[in-house]
Amino acid sequence: MSAHSHSQGHADHGNPALQMGHHHVSSAKMFFNVLVALLILTGITVAASRVDFGGANMLIAMGIASIKASLVIAFFMHLKWDTAINKIVFLCSFLFLSLLFIFTLADHATRRWDNEMHTVRTPVSNEFVYRQQPHPENH
Amino acid sequence: MSHDGHHSVVIPAPGPEFVPHTVAHHFDTPVQEFQSMKLGFWLFLATEILLFGGLFAAYFYFHESYPETFRLGGHQLDWKLGALNTSVLLLSSWTMAMGVRSSQTSQKQKTLFFCGLTVLGAVIFMVIKFFEYRAKNEHGLIVFSELFHPYDLTTNSLPWFKDYDGVMAGVPHPHLFFAIYLTMTAIHGLHVVIGAGLILWIMKGTAKGRFHAGYYLPVDLVGLYWHLVDLIWIFLFPLLYLVP
Amino acid sequence: MTTNVPVIDSHAAPVAGRKNFLNCSSGFLSWAGTLDHKRIGIMYLVGVSLAFLAGGLFALLVRLHLWKPDGMLFDNVQYNQIFTLHGAFMVFIFVIPAIPGSLGNMVLPLMLGAKDVALPRLNLLSFYLWLAGALMATLAIVLGGFDTGWTFYAPYSLYTDQAVVTIGLAVFVLGFSSIFTGLNFIVTVHKLRAPGLTWFRMPLFVWAIYATAILQVLATPVLGITVLLVAFERLYHIGIFDPRLGGDPVLFEHFFWFYSHPAVYIMVLPAFGIVSELVSVHSRKPLFGYKLIAFSSLAIAIISFLVWGHHMFTSGQSTYALFAFSFLTFFVAIPTAIKEFSWVATIWKGSIALNAPMLYTLAFLIIFAIGGLTGVILGALNVDIHLHDTYFVVAHFHYVMMGSIALAFFAGLHHWWPKMFGVMYNETLAKIACGIIFVGFNTTFIPQFIMGSRGMPRRYATYVPDYMGFHQASTIGAMVLGAGVALMVFYLVASLFQGKKAMQNQWGGVTLDWLTPTPPPLENFDEAPVVTTEVYDYSTLDYKAMQTPVA
Repeated sequence: MSAHSHSQGHADHGNPALQMGHHHVSSAKMFFNVLVALLILTGITVAASRVDFGGANMLIAMGIASIKASLVIAFFMHLKWDTAINKIVFLCSFLFLSLLFIFTLADHATRRWDNEMHTVRTPVSNEFVYRQQPHPENH
Repeated sequence: MSHDGHHSVVIPAPGPEFVPHTVAHHFDTPVQEFQSMKLGFWLFLATEILLFGGLFAAYFYFHESYPETFRLGGHQLDWKLGALNTSVLLLSSWTMAMGVRSSQTSQKQKTLFFCGLTVLGAVIFMVIKFFEYRAKNEHGLIVFSELFHPYDLTTNSLPWFKDYDGVMAGVPHPHLFFAIYLTMTAIHGLHVVIGAGLILWIMKGTAKGRFHAGYYLPVDLVGLYWHLVDLIWIFLFPLLYLVP
Repeated sequence: MTTNVPVIDSHAAPVAGRKNFLNCSSGFLSWAGTLDHKRIGIMYLVGVSLAFLAGGLFALLVRLHLWKPDGMLFDNVQYNQIFTLHGAFMVFIFVIPAIPGSLGNMVLPLMLGAKDVALPRLNLLSFYLWLAGALMATLAIVLGGFDTGWTFYAPYSLYTDQAVVTIGLAVFVLGFSSIFTGLNFIVTVHKLRAPGLTWFRMPLFVWAIYATAILQVLATPVLGITVLLVAFERLYHIGIFDPRLGGDPVLFEHFFWFYSHPAVYIMVLPAFGIVSELVSVHSRKPLFGYKLIAFSSLAIAIISFLVWGHHMFTSGQSTYALFAFSFLTFFVAIPTAIKEFSWVATIWKGSIALNAPMLYTLAFLIIFAIGGLTGVILGALNVDIHLHDTYFVVAHFHYVMMGSIALAFFAGLHHWWPKMFGVMYNETLAKIACGIIFVGFNTTFIPQFIMGSRGMPRRYATYVPDYMGFHQASTIGAMVLGAGVALMVFYLVASLFQGKKAMQNQWGGVTLDWLTPTPPPLENFDEAPVVTTEVYDYSTLDYKAMQTPVA
C-alpha cells in the first residue's frame, strides 16, 4: 500500500512488464481446461434436471451453478491470484446478498406456520391470495 | 486539470507499435494506480451482484409461492436454445480471458482477434435471445406490442399476457413466471450489449497501441465485466430453463 | 517535531498571494469540470444546502398546515405530496449525500495525506449524478408530484396517479451517485494513505466515512433494483409487489428496508465521525477508546444489515421473523452506546473550548442520546405494535436525522469552514444560532413524542382537536428552528464576503487536514507528508499556526 508504493516510485522504469504490480499471466492451456470443465458442467446441469431428486432439485441445480461460477471467478476473473482485499470485496457481495435471501425467504417460509398454528391470516399471506380459501370464521 | 508534470510517471511502450502510458497525477506509482482501479472495479462488480441479487430473491420468493407456475412456465422456454446460449456465453468468456492474456503479453493482433470473437459471441447471444422472445410473442406469453398498455383494473386482465394456446391454464398467476423471465433476461441482455460496446472500445484502444504488457488495465477491467455477465447467466440458465 | 516538517514551515511564513484551490483558476468551467475533490466538495455543499433549505421549507409548510385540527393550507392529496417531498428531498437529496459528499470530499483526502481521491473522474460523475437525480425529483414535482411517502410502499405506489416513475428513476440515479462516492472513498482509504498513516493512525472521521462507504456499496444496489421494479410494475405490471397479480407487498418492504435500514447508518455514521473529531480537537484530548470507536463503526455497519425487519413489525411478516428482527435490533445499541460513552469520556477533564463547533457537538450529544434511546424503545416488538406509525416514531427519527445528523453536519461545517474558505464567521451569532436551533428543535419534537405515545398517527392531514396543543407547540418550535437555520445561513454566507481572516490552524487540530496551508493548495500538500506520530497526539501541536492568519 502507501508504504511500499512510495519506495518503488521510479525504480521499475527499466522493466515495463513489472510495472502494474502483481502480474499473473495464466497459461492458455489452463484457460482451455476451464472452458471444457464449464461446458461439461453445463451438460451435467441439463442431465440432472431430467432426474427428479424431489426437494433437492433446487439445491443440486444451484450447487452445479455455484461450481461453474467459482471456476469463472477463480480462473477467468483471475481472483485466485488477486489481492486479498479484492477477494474479500467480491465474496462480501455474496455474503451480504445471502442475508437478503435468508431473512426474506425465512419470513416467507415461516408465515405458513403462522397460518397453520394460529389461523392468523394476514391480507398478504400467500395461501390467502393464492387459494382464496374461505376464512373459517366466516362460516 | 492543469498540474505540474514533474511528478507524473510514464510507463514506456514495449515497442514502436505501442503508446506509452502516463500514470494519473495523483498516483505515485503505476502499482498504486493499477491496484486502485482494480479495487474500484471489484467494488463495482459487487454492486452488480447485489443489484441482480434482488431479482434472484424475487425469483426464489415466488418459486416458493407458486412452484407449479414456475415449473410449467419453464417448460414453455426452449431449453435447447438456453443451453446453446449458455455455451455461447461460456465460449465468449473464454475468448475474453484469452484476449486479456494476449494484451498482457503485448500481442496486439491476438488481442484484437479474441476480442472480436467475444463481440461475435455477444451478437450470437442476442440474436438467439431475439428468436426466443419472438417465440414467446407468437404464443402470447409476452405480447411485446402491448407490453406497456394500461392494466384494466375492472377485469383484472393483463394486456401483455394472452396465452393463446392455453398452455399455462390451471396454474395460479401464470404471468408471474414470464414477467420475471422477461425482467431478468432483459436486464441481463442490457449488460450483454453494454459489455459488447465496452469490448469494441477496448479493441479501438488496442488497435491504437494503447494497451500492452506495461498497461493493460482497461482490457483487464472490461474482461472482468464480461465474465460477470457470464456469471449471472450461469445462474439464470438452470433457474429459468430447467426450473428445478 | 512530528509530521511533515516542510508543511508546518509554510505555516510560519505564509506567502502573500500564494495560490490555493479556490483561486488557482477561475471561471465557470474551472468549477463545472473540476476533478479537484475540494471543489467538488464545495459544489456538493452548495447543492445539499439548497436541498436542505427546500426540504426545510416543505417541513414548515407541513407544520403550518397542522396548526388547526382540520388543516390550514392543503387538501389531503396536496398534504400527502408535501410531506412526501419533505421526506424524499431530505433523505435522498440532502442527508445521504450531505456529509460524505461535502465534508467527506473536502476533508478525507486531506486527512489521508493524498493529493486527491483515488478516482477523481468518478467523483465528478457522482456529483453530476446527484445533480441529475435532484433535477429529476424536481421534474417529478412539475409532472404532478408524488404522494407515496418517501418509502414508495407498494401497492399504493403502483396505482397512484402520480409521477412515481420519475421519482423512482431519480432515486435510482441518486443511488448510483451514492454508490460511486462510497466506492471512491473505499479505494482512497485503502490505496492512498500517506506513508506512515497506518489503519490505527487514521482519524476517526476517516473510519466513519469508510464504514459508511461499505454500506453505500453493499446496500444501495438493492434500493436501485427495488425502485426499478416499482417503475417496471407501473410500466408493465410484473406483479411481484401487486397482490392482485399474485405478488406480495411485504416483499417490497423487505427489499426497501434491506437498503433503507443500513441507509440510516449511511446517514448517521459520518455524523459520528464528525463528532469524534470535534470532541477531541475542542477538548484538546486524545479520543477515549479510539479503537473501540473505530471498530464500533464497522460493527454498526454489519449489524445494520440484520435488523431491517423492525420497520415491518405490523406489515404481516411471520411472527418468527418479528422475534428475530426485534432481538437483533437491540444489538445496534451496543456499538452506539460505546460511541456515546467514549465521546463523553473524551470531553471529561479536557481543555474544553466552548466555541461554535463544540456547542453544536454538545447539542448533538444530548439530542442523540434521546434519539438513540427512543430507538431502543421502538425496537421492542410489543411496544412498537402500539407506537408504529405514530408521531413517536416521527419524533424518534427526527431526533436522529435532523437533531443528530444535521446538527453534526452543522458542527462539521463550522469546524472546517475556516479550513475551506480561510475566513471565520461571526462566532457570537453562531453561538446564538446554535442555541435557537437547539431550543427550536426540542420544542418541535418533544410534543411529538408525547402525542405519538398517546396515539396520534403520522401522515394524517387532519387530527382530533385533543392533540391541538401539542401540534401548535410543535409548529411554534419548527418556526423557531427555521429562524435559527436562517440565521446560520446568513452569517455563514456573510462571512464569505466580510469575514475576518481565519488562522492557519483555527482550532488546534493535529490531524493532517490541519497541517496543510489554509485554504489548501490544489494538490493539498506542498510536500508529500509522512506520518510518524500517533493520531490525536496534541503534544505535537504547533501553536504558532494557531496564531498565524491565512495569507
